[in-house]
Amino acid sequence: MSNELQLIEKAKAGSVKAFTELVESYRPRLFRYLVTRCNNHADAEDALQDALINAYKYLHTYNPQWRFSTWLYRIAIRNLCRNSDENITELDEPGDADNDPLDHVIAASERQNLWSSARRLLNDEVYTAMWLRYAEDMSIRDIASALDRSVSWTKVNLMRGRNTLDTELAQSKSEAYG
Amino acid sequence: MDKLAKRLREDADRIDASISPELDERINASLRAVTPQRPAEKQNSARSWTFWLASSLTGAAAAIVLIAVLNLRDTPVETAPAVAENALPDIVEVPVFDLHAEAAVLTSPLSQELEALQSDLKKAEEKLREDIGL
Repeated sequence: MSNELQLIEKAKAGSVKAFTELVESYRPRLFRYLVTRCNNHADAEDALQDALINAYKYLHTYNPQWRFSTWLYRIAIRNLCRNSDENITELDEPGDADNDPLDHVIAASERQNLWSSARRLLNDEVYTAMWLRYAEDMSIRDIASALDRSVSWTKVNLMRGRNTLDTELAQSKSEAYG
Repeated sequence: MDKLAKRLREDADRIDASISPELDERINASLRAVTPQRPAEKQNSARSWTFWLASSLTGAAAAIVLIAVLNLRDTPVETAPAVAENALPDIVEVPVFDLHAEAAVLTSPLSQELEALQSDLKKAEEKLREDIGL
Protein backbone atom coordinates (compact mmCIF):
# COMPACT_ATOMS: atom_id res chain seq x y z
CA MET A 1 0.00 0.00 0.00
CA SER A 2 1.41 3.39 -0.96
CA ASN A 3 2.09 6.09 1.60
CA GLU A 4 -0.80 8.16 0.21
CA LEU A 5 -3.29 5.32 0.63
CA GLN A 6 -2.05 4.70 4.16
CA LEU A 7 -2.61 8.35 4.99
CA ILE A 8 -6.08 8.17 3.44
CA GLU A 9 -6.98 5.18 5.60
CA LYS A 10 -5.74 6.94 8.73
CA ALA A 11 -7.61 10.12 7.80
CA LYS A 12 -10.78 8.11 7.23
CA ALA A 13 -10.41 6.82 10.77
CA GLY A 14 -10.41 10.42 11.99
CA SER A 15 -6.76 11.44 12.03
CA VAL A 16 -6.49 15.15 11.23
CA LYS A 17 -2.71 14.87 11.26
CA ALA A 18 -2.76 12.22 8.53
CA PHE A 19 -5.15 14.31 6.45
CA THR A 20 -3.02 17.44 6.85
CA GLU A 21 0.02 15.46 5.74
CA LEU A 22 -1.97 14.02 2.84
CA VAL A 23 -3.04 17.41 1.44
CA GLU A 24 0.19 19.23 2.31
CA SER A 25 1.63 19.03 -1.20
CA TYR A 26 -1.69 19.82 -2.91
CA ARG A 27 -2.72 22.83 -0.84
CA PRO A 28 -0.47 25.51 -2.39
CA ARG A 29 -1.34 24.44 -5.94
CA LEU A 30 -5.04 24.31 -5.20
CA PHE A 31 -4.92 27.67 -3.47
CA ARG A 32 -3.16 29.24 -6.46
CA TYR A 33 -5.95 28.02 -8.72
CA LEU A 34 -8.60 29.31 -6.30
CA VAL A 35 -6.91 32.70 -6.11
CA THR A 36 -7.25 33.04 -9.87
CA ARG A 37 -10.88 31.92 -9.81
CA CYS A 38 -12.26 33.88 -6.86
CA ASN A 39 -13.13 37.55 -6.73
CA ASN A 40 -10.65 38.30 -3.96
CA HIS A 41 -8.06 36.73 -1.69
CA ALA A 42 -10.46 36.28 1.21
CA ASP A 43 -12.90 34.34 -1.00
CA ALA A 44 -10.05 32.11 -2.16
CA GLU A 45 -9.09 31.39 1.46
CA ASP A 46 -12.70 30.48 2.26
CA ALA A 47 -12.89 28.31 -0.85
CA LEU A 48 -9.72 26.46 0.14
CA GLN A 49 -11.03 25.90 3.65
CA ASP A 50 -14.39 24.62 2.34
CA ALA A 51 -12.70 22.31 -0.15
CA LEU A 52 -10.42 20.78 2.45
CA ILE A 53 -13.17 20.36 5.02
CA ASN A 54 -15.45 18.69 2.45
CA ALA A 55 -12.59 16.46 1.33
CA TYR A 56 -11.97 15.38 4.92
CA LYS A 57 -15.65 14.92 5.63
CA TYR A 58 -16.37 12.85 2.54
CA LEU A 59 -13.06 11.04 2.27
CA HIS A 60 -14.89 7.69 2.28
CA THR A 61 -16.24 8.54 -1.20
CA TYR A 62 -12.75 8.83 -2.68
CA ASN A 63 -12.07 6.17 -5.31
CA PRO A 64 -8.36 5.24 -5.44
CA GLN A 65 -8.58 4.61 -9.20
CA TRP A 66 -8.36 8.41 -9.58
CA ARG A 67 -5.47 10.59 -8.51
CA PHE A 68 -6.11 12.26 -5.19
CA SER A 69 -5.37 15.68 -6.70
CA THR A 70 -8.10 15.11 -9.32
CA TRP A 71 -10.62 14.31 -6.61
CA LEU A 72 -9.55 17.31 -4.55
CA TYR A 73 -9.89 19.64 -7.53
CA ARG A 74 -13.29 18.17 -8.29
CA ILE A 75 -14.53 19.06 -4.80
CA ALA A 76 -13.08 22.58 -5.06
CA ILE A 77 -14.64 23.15 -8.49
CA ARG A 78 -18.05 21.95 -7.30
CA ASN A 79 -17.87 24.29 -4.32
CA LEU A 80 -17.00 27.20 -6.62
CA CYS A 81 -19.89 26.36 -8.96
CA ARG A 82 -22.30 26.20 -6.02
CA ASN A 83 -21.09 29.52 -4.67
CA SER A 84 -21.24 31.20 -8.08
CA ASP A 85 -24.83 29.95 -8.51
CA GLU A 86 -25.72 31.45 -5.16
CA ASN A 87 -24.10 34.77 -6.00
CA ILE A 88 -25.67 34.78 -9.50
CA THR A 89 -22.63 36.35 -11.08
CA GLU A 90 -22.36 36.28 -14.85
CA LEU A 91 -18.94 34.72 -15.05
CA ASP A 92 -19.33 33.62 -18.65
CA GLU A 93 -19.06 37.18 -19.82
CA PRO A 94 -15.63 38.69 -20.22
CA GLY A 95 -14.49 40.29 -17.00
CA ASP A 96 -13.72 43.90 -16.36
CA ALA A 97 -10.07 44.46 -17.13
CA ASP A 98 -9.81 47.20 -14.51
CA ASN A 99 -11.12 44.94 -11.78
CA ASP A 100 -9.23 41.78 -12.58
CA PRO A 101 -8.73 39.70 -9.38
CA LEU A 102 -5.47 38.38 -10.72
CA ASP A 103 -4.00 41.88 -10.63
CA HIS A 104 -3.79 41.53 -6.86
CA VAL A 105 -1.47 38.55 -7.06
CA ILE A 106 0.58 39.45 -10.12
CA ALA A 107 3.30 42.03 -9.76
CA ALA A 108 2.44 45.12 -11.80
CA SER A 109 5.98 45.54 -13.01
CA GLU A 110 6.06 42.20 -14.77
CA ARG A 111 4.71 41.55 -18.25
CA GLN A 112 1.05 40.70 -18.46
CA ASN A 113 0.22 37.28 -17.10
CA LEU A 114 -1.44 35.11 -19.71
CA TRP A 115 -3.74 33.62 -17.06
CA SER A 116 -5.17 37.06 -16.53
CA SER A 117 -6.12 37.15 -20.21
CA ALA A 118 -7.43 33.60 -19.95
CA ARG A 119 -9.65 34.57 -17.04
CA ARG A 120 -11.02 37.47 -19.07
CA LEU A 121 -11.52 35.58 -22.32
CA LEU A 122 -12.52 32.06 -21.34
CA ASN A 123 -15.52 30.83 -19.43
CA ASP A 124 -15.05 29.11 -16.06
CA GLU A 125 -14.97 25.56 -17.32
CA VAL A 126 -12.58 26.15 -20.18
CA TYR A 127 -10.37 28.25 -17.92
CA THR A 128 -10.28 25.43 -15.36
CA ALA A 129 -9.53 22.85 -18.05
CA MET A 130 -6.67 25.02 -19.31
CA TRP A 131 -5.35 25.49 -15.78
CA LEU A 132 -5.44 21.79 -14.96
CA ARG A 133 -3.71 20.99 -18.24
CA TYR A 134 -1.00 23.63 -18.36
CA ALA A 135 -0.46 24.60 -14.73
CA GLU A 136 -1.06 21.18 -13.17
CA ASP A 137 0.03 18.88 -16.01
CA MET A 138 -3.07 16.78 -15.58
CA SER A 139 -4.05 14.18 -18.17
CA ILE A 140 -7.09 14.77 -20.37
CA ARG A 141 -8.87 11.91 -18.61
CA ASP A 142 -8.24 13.41 -15.18
CA ILE A 143 -9.39 16.83 -16.33
CA ALA A 144 -12.58 15.33 -17.74
CA SER A 145 -13.18 13.60 -14.41
CA ALA A 146 -12.49 16.75 -12.38
CA LEU A 147 -14.91 18.75 -14.52
CA ASP A 148 -17.45 15.93 -14.76
CA ARG A 149 -17.26 16.15 -18.56
CA SER A 150 -16.48 13.76 -21.38
CA VAL A 151 -12.97 13.29 -22.72
CA SER A 152 -14.02 14.58 -26.14
CA TRP A 153 -15.59 17.71 -24.59
CA THR A 154 -12.35 18.32 -22.72
CA LYS A 155 -10.22 17.92 -25.85
CA VAL A 156 -12.39 20.24 -27.92
CA ASN A 157 -12.51 22.94 -25.27
CA LEU A 158 -8.81 22.77 -24.55
CA MET A 159 -8.23 23.34 -28.26
CA ARG A 160 -10.66 26.29 -28.26
CA GLY A 161 -8.96 27.76 -25.21
CA ARG A 162 -5.57 27.40 -26.82
CA ASN A 163 -6.78 29.07 -30.01
CA THR A 164 -8.26 31.96 -28.05
CA LEU A 165 -5.04 32.50 -26.09
CA ASP A 166 -2.91 32.12 -29.22
CA THR A 167 -4.93 34.87 -30.89
CA GLU A 168 -4.64 37.06 -27.80
CA LEU A 169 -0.90 36.48 -27.65
CA ALA A 170 -0.47 37.34 -31.32
CA GLN A 171 -2.54 40.52 -30.91
CA SER A 172 -0.60 41.68 -27.87
CA LYS A 173 2.68 41.09 -29.72
CA SER A 174 1.55 43.05 -32.77
CA GLU A 175 0.42 45.92 -30.49
CA ALA A 176 3.75 45.86 -28.65
CA TYR A 177 5.73 46.07 -31.87
CA GLY A 178 3.40 48.69 -33.28
CA MET B 1 6.28 21.51 -24.61
CA ASP B 2 5.18 24.16 -27.11
CA LYS B 3 5.59 27.87 -26.66
CA LEU B 4 2.08 28.58 -25.37
CA ALA B 5 2.18 25.72 -22.87
CA LYS B 6 5.57 26.88 -21.62
CA ARG B 7 4.32 30.44 -21.23
CA LEU B 8 1.21 29.28 -19.35
CA ARG B 9 3.32 27.17 -17.02
CA GLU B 10 5.68 30.04 -16.30
CA ASP B 11 2.84 32.47 -15.75
CA ALA B 12 1.12 30.06 -13.37
CA ASP B 13 4.34 29.81 -11.33
CA ARG B 14 4.52 33.61 -11.18
CA ILE B 15 1.18 33.86 -9.40
CA ASP B 16 1.83 34.50 -5.74
CA ALA B 17 -0.56 32.46 -3.64
CA SER B 18 1.21 31.59 -0.44
CA ILE B 19 -0.87 30.28 2.43
CA SER B 20 -0.53 32.45 5.50
CA PRO B 21 0.06 30.85 8.93
CA GLU B 22 -3.28 32.30 10.05
CA LEU B 23 -5.12 30.52 7.23
CA ASP B 24 -3.19 27.35 7.99
CA GLU B 25 -4.23 27.49 11.62
CA ARG B 26 -7.83 28.31 10.70
CA ILE B 27 -8.05 25.30 8.38
CA ASN B 28 -6.54 22.98 10.99
CA ALA B 29 -8.97 24.21 13.62
CA SER B 30 -11.89 23.62 11.23
CA LEU B 31 -10.65 20.12 10.43
CA ARG B 32 -10.41 19.25 14.10
CA ALA B 33 -14.05 20.29 14.52
CA VAL B 34 -15.20 17.96 11.73
CA THR B 35 -15.67 14.21 11.91
CA PRO B 36 -15.27 12.21 8.71
CA GLN B 37 -18.50 10.59 7.61
CA ARG B 38 -18.80 6.82 7.46
CA PRO B 39 -19.96 4.97 4.36
CA ALA B 40 -23.73 4.63 4.04
CA GLU B 41 -23.82 0.86 4.53
CA LYS B 42 -21.93 1.16 7.79
CA GLN B 43 -24.43 3.72 8.99
CA ASN B 44 -27.27 1.29 8.29
CA SER B 45 -25.53 -1.59 10.04
CA ALA B 46 -24.92 0.66 13.02
CA ARG B 47 -28.64 0.53 13.70
CA SER B 48 -28.92 -2.45 15.99
CA TRP B 49 -31.76 -4.98 16.12
CA THR B 50 -33.19 -3.17 19.15
CA PHE B 51 -33.89 -0.16 16.93
CA TRP B 52 -36.02 -2.26 14.57
CA LEU B 53 -37.69 -4.10 17.47
CA ALA B 54 -38.60 -0.82 19.16
CA SER B 55 -39.98 0.55 15.87
CA SER B 56 -42.11 -2.57 15.30
CA LEU B 57 -43.49 -2.57 18.84
CA THR B 58 -44.35 1.12 18.64
CA GLY B 59 -46.20 0.57 15.37
CA ALA B 60 -48.12 -2.44 16.70
CA ALA B 61 -49.09 -0.59 19.88
CA ALA B 62 -50.35 2.37 17.88
CA ALA B 63 -52.48 0.06 15.69
CA ILE B 64 -54.00 -1.71 18.74
CA VAL B 65 -54.89 1.59 20.41
CA LEU B 66 -56.51 2.85 17.21
CA ILE B 67 -58.62 -0.30 16.81
CA ALA B 68 -59.68 -0.20 20.47
CA VAL B 69 -60.68 3.44 20.28
CA LEU B 70 -62.75 2.85 17.16
CA ASN B 71 -64.57 -0.15 18.68
CA LEU B 72 -65.29 1.49 22.01
CA ARG B 73 -66.82 4.61 20.59
CA ASP B 74 -70.53 5.01 21.59
CA THR B 75 -71.49 7.24 18.80
CA PRO B 76 -73.90 5.47 16.44
CA VAL B 77 -72.80 4.81 13.01
CA GLU B 78 -74.21 7.36 10.77
CA THR B 79 -76.91 5.96 8.56
CA ALA B 80 -77.76 7.10 5.15
CA PRO B 81 -80.22 9.98 5.19
CA ALA B 82 -83.82 8.95 4.60
CA VAL B 83 -85.32 9.81 1.30
CA ALA B 84 -87.63 12.75 1.66
CA GLU B 85 -91.25 12.13 0.95
CA ASN B 86 -92.63 13.58 -2.21
CA ALA B 87 -89.10 14.13 -3.30
CA LEU B 88 -90.15 13.68 -6.86
CA PRO B 89 -92.43 16.31 -8.33
CA ASP B 90 -95.91 15.29 -9.43
CA ILE B 91 -95.90 13.78 -12.85
CA VAL B 92 -97.76 15.93 -15.25
CA GLU B 93 -100.45 14.03 -17.11
CA VAL B 94 -99.48 13.57 -20.71
CA PRO B 95 -102.34 14.35 -23.09
CA VAL B 96 -103.46 11.44 -25.29
CA PHE B 97 -103.47 12.25 -28.92
CA ASP B 98 -106.23 10.84 -31.16
CA LEU B 99 -104.39 8.97 -33.91
CA HIS B 100 -106.17 7.84 -37.11
CA ALA B 101 -104.60 5.10 -39.20
CA GLU B 102 -105.74 4.38 -42.76
CA ALA B 103 -104.75 1.45 -44.97
CA ALA B 104 -102.64 2.35 -47.92
CA VAL B 105 -104.26 1.89 -51.30
CA LEU B 106 -101.92 -0.12 -53.49
CA THR B 107 -101.68 0.65 -57.12
CA SER B 108 -102.78 -1.99 -59.56
CA PRO B 109 -99.39 -3.37 -60.70
CA LEU B 110 -98.13 -3.69 -57.11
CA SER B 111 -101.27 -5.57 -56.00
CA GLN B 112 -100.91 -7.93 -58.91
CA GLU B 113 -97.30 -8.55 -58.06
CA LEU B 114 -98.27 -9.27 -54.45
CA GLU B 115 -100.93 -11.77 -55.57
CA ALA B 116 -98.39 -13.48 -57.83
CA LEU B 117 -95.90 -13.73 -54.97
CA GLN B 118 -98.52 -15.10 -52.60
CA SER B 119 -99.54 -17.67 -55.26
CA ASP B 120 -95.89 -18.75 -55.72
CA LEU B 121 -95.45 -19.01 -51.98
CA LYS B 122 -98.55 -21.19 -51.69
CA LYS B 123 -97.40 -23.47 -54.48
CA ALA B 124 -93.96 -23.86 -52.91
CA GLU B 125 -95.57 -24.68 -49.58
CA GLU B 126 -97.82 -27.37 -51.14
CA LYS B 127 -94.87 -28.91 -52.95
CA LEU B 128 -92.87 -29.00 -49.79
CA ARG B 129 -95.73 -30.71 -47.94
CA GLU B 130 -95.93 -33.32 -50.70
CA ASP B 131 -92.19 -33.95 -50.55
CA ILE B 132 -92.26 -34.38 -46.82
CA GLY B 133 -95.30 -36.64 -47.09
CA LEU B 134 -97.75 -34.72 -45.02
